[in-house]
Amino acid sequence: MIPALRLDDVSFSYGRVPALERVSFSVAPGERVALLGRNGAGKSTVVRLVAGLQRPDEGTLWVGDWDTRDCVPEQLAWRVGSVFQHADQQLFARTVRDDVSFGPRALGVGEREVERRTARALEDLDLTAHAGHHPYDLPPALRKLAALAGALALEPALLVLDEPTIGLDRALRARVTRALLDRSAGSVALLVITHDLTFAAESLERGLVLDRGSLVCDESLAGLLGDATRLEPLGLAPPPVAALSAALDLPGRPVRAADVATALARVARGKPAP
Amino acid sequence: MRSLLLDRASFWYPATESPTLRDVSLDVAQGEVVALVGALGAGASTLLLVAADLAPRVTGGRLAGSVARRDRSGIVLPTPWTQVSGMAFTVWDEIAFGPANLAWPAHEIARQVDRALEHLQLAPLASRDPATLSGGELQRVIIAAILAMDPGLVLFDEPAAELDADGAGMLWRLIRLLAREGKAVLLATSALDALPDVADRVVWLEGGAIRAVGTPDLLADVATCDAGLGTSTATVWRAAGLPAPYPLTVAQAVRGWR
Repeated sequence: MIPALRLDDVSFSYGRVPALERVSFSVAPGERVALLGRNGAGKSTVVRLVAGLQRPDEGTLWVGDWDTRDCVPEQLAWRVGSVFQHADQQLFARTVRDDVSFGPRALGVGEREVERRTARALEDLDLTAHAGHHPYDLPPALRKLAALAGALALEPALLVLDEPTIGLDRALRARVTRALLDRSAGSVALLVITHDLTFAAESLERGLVLDRGSLVCDESLAGLLGDATRLEPLGLAPPPVAALSAALDLPGRPVRAADVATALARVARGKPAP
Repeated sequence: MRSLLLDRASFWYPATESPTLRDVSLDVAQGEVVALVGALGAGASTLLLVAADLAPRVTGGRLAGSVARRDRSGIVLPTPWTQVSGMAFTVWDEIAFGPANLAWPAHEIARQVDRALEHLQLAPLASRDPATLSGGELQRVIIAAILAMDPGLVLFDEPAAELDADGAGMLWRLIRLLAREGKAVLLATSALDALPDVADRVVWLEGGAIRAVGTPDLLADVATCDAGLGTSTATVWRAAGLPAPYPLTVAQAVRGWR
């Protein structure tokens, strides 16, 4: 199977400031990958390269079987849906519905298909009630969801999201998790940059860690997130739920809140009353 | 001494019928850290704009009730890129922009800028162009730029949103330091797990009104957990069906478990 995304020895610099150094990894269809690391580690640069806004200085970045060096961003939009870090600035239409449908309409998929995709994306993020609102009448957190809906509506093979949960409360984060799990079940590959390791634990399965432009870790998130001694040197801290799981030595060391609650309940039932 | 006092403050944005803040009475003392928590649309950001004298002065709209400020305030908005002056080509100059506009003598400007750089661990970036910074780096620059103006009342709206774990830890320690120096701090955050170590008081806003005020223990209450505002530990405890009182932090959970 062709990976949805493959980086082969990709390097990139902003002038004389190096951002990425010989980074290689691939993401399979349906895979849910977190891209982690300190501020300035090069994470957002990966998004810009995948979206075709920058080209690698060296190495090759493949989106499916397309070399991004041969593609313009609007062509990549057939395969990649990107949501940038400050996505609430990504909106421009007069209504949320128009904004979300802009992408598929620009792809030229036909009006009935545009409507289907728009309705589905709005529904997935519980935004249907806001479809007729002006995006800038919505609070920033909902604008952020509207930008995500715009990327979902492209129905791309690969979704690349840069910090999708900034400014979102727990309920809205849960909406994003639900929508992402749903798309991934339909074989969409996810590459998500996030500092929010609680969200990563709930939504994603594999963790890549960048450190000063180099890829230093590529493994299952469940193992990584519970291991404070390994996270710390990478500038990461275990999310509280994973820390709790490790501190209480819960069986299987779960990291998702629902799994930790289940394990906790089971162990508590077996414990003698205090 | 009180730095900020809101007395039955209500606020309406322009062309809206229902108020975004309803009858909010709240004071923040010098040396105190008060955290606002709430669901989307609860009014926390608006409350900070009112405290900063930006609403209604800049936003328009209408305020009822009274707002009294003793100290000059500085606000860190949740969107750092909207707070860059655009007038500076280095981080040092960006941070100096505010103090320079206060017409302080040059040596005082330099002292405040260097202190802010040190507090935010920005010294290595001092000569960088702000336009080349990452989101988290820029957020630290904006926080430094506000602190360099030495406000007595510091208002933060989601100040850790763009920060990595080290940066967030540094910020929370810095906020405690500001309080020890006698500043009043009012912050809105969804980083609920940080609050037991950071906040003296937690104010729960709902629909623009204050629903409850308390110590950070409020974040382990049944009602806050059910509203999605409990700490991660308390929320998992509740989801597991274990009896209240719920532990607030991982450390508390571990102590009670043994």
